[in-house]
Amino acid sequence: MATLLKNVRSFSTIANFLVRTTVPRLGAVALMRQLNCHHHCSSRPLQLQILQSPFFSQPLRWYAGKPPLTLESIQKRVELVLRLYDKINPDKLTLDSHFINDLSLDSLDQVEIIMAIEDEFGFEIPDADSERLMRPRDIVQYIADKEDIFD
Amino acid sequence: MSYLQTKVLSHAQKVRSLYKKAARTLQSYYEPFDRAEFRYQAVLLRARFDENKNEVDVRKAKKLLLDGQKELLLKSHPQQIYFPLSPGGVAYERHFPTPDWILDTWHPFEKAQYPEYFALREIRKKEYIERWEKQYGKTEEEVAH
Repeated sequence: MATLLKNVRSFSTIANFLVRTTVPRLGAVALMRQLNCHHHCSSRPLQLQILQSPFFSQPLRWYAGKPPLTLESIQKRVELVLRLYDKINPDKLTLDSHFINDLSLDSLDQVEIIMAIEDEFGFEIPDADSERLMRPRDIVQYIADKEDIFD
Repeated sequence: MSYLQTKVLSHAQKVRSLYKKAARTLQSYYEPFDRAEFRYQAVLLRARFDENKNEVDVRKAKKLLLDGQKELLLKSHPQQIYFPLSPGGVAYERHFPTPDWILDTWHPFEKAQYPEYFALREIRKKEYIERWEKQYGKTEEEVAH
């Protein structure tokens, strides 16, 4: 009886050992084969597939940088800033309306607008340049020139 | 940013510049802690400027401007907020584009790796010189170094 028990115990230890060592290896080999098959069977390589997935092509966060600007997006942001300014009537606002002649603002209002645009786009507009920016279109063009944007 | 003034500024330009600097100073003082307080102070500042906007006496206007500039100096912020990439900011001139003429110093072997680009570049250089001579005339040999 004692020998039987001993045999059973040794068998259980061997089984335990096998389970702990061989099964994971087999599993790993199977997984690798599967990956290999996937790699060879599909038309595109795996790495390329990952790189072309939307997660990589359109990053969600721009850590220190800014999302790329286009003329259209600059125009939208400038218009939004101007529309939110309380002294401008949004109905009268167009791209070519002159701040002082058409929208009847004064020169200090124009300075405030320029400061709001600076805050929006994150760079300083010197006084000498800001005097020329009298229409929304001028502002859009100035920002596009500054950020090297042509389309 | 330069202390050396190279242009004559009109009175209106000086007032506009003063207004902008004063508003930015208020922003440095108040905005980091309380945006609403900053807006309140900015409206008060605007009211102070608007009080004298119809001043016709030149001497009085000049005195007001000088007083304003003095007040700005006395109340200037010890650590003004600047935009990172603008003059005074932490990243100002951190990255600058490589000058274009560097490409002209390449070895011919290096240039030979990009034959199309450098062929086009030679054409563009010729066009640039033509445009320059059309606008400013030919350079005199004696003057040229």
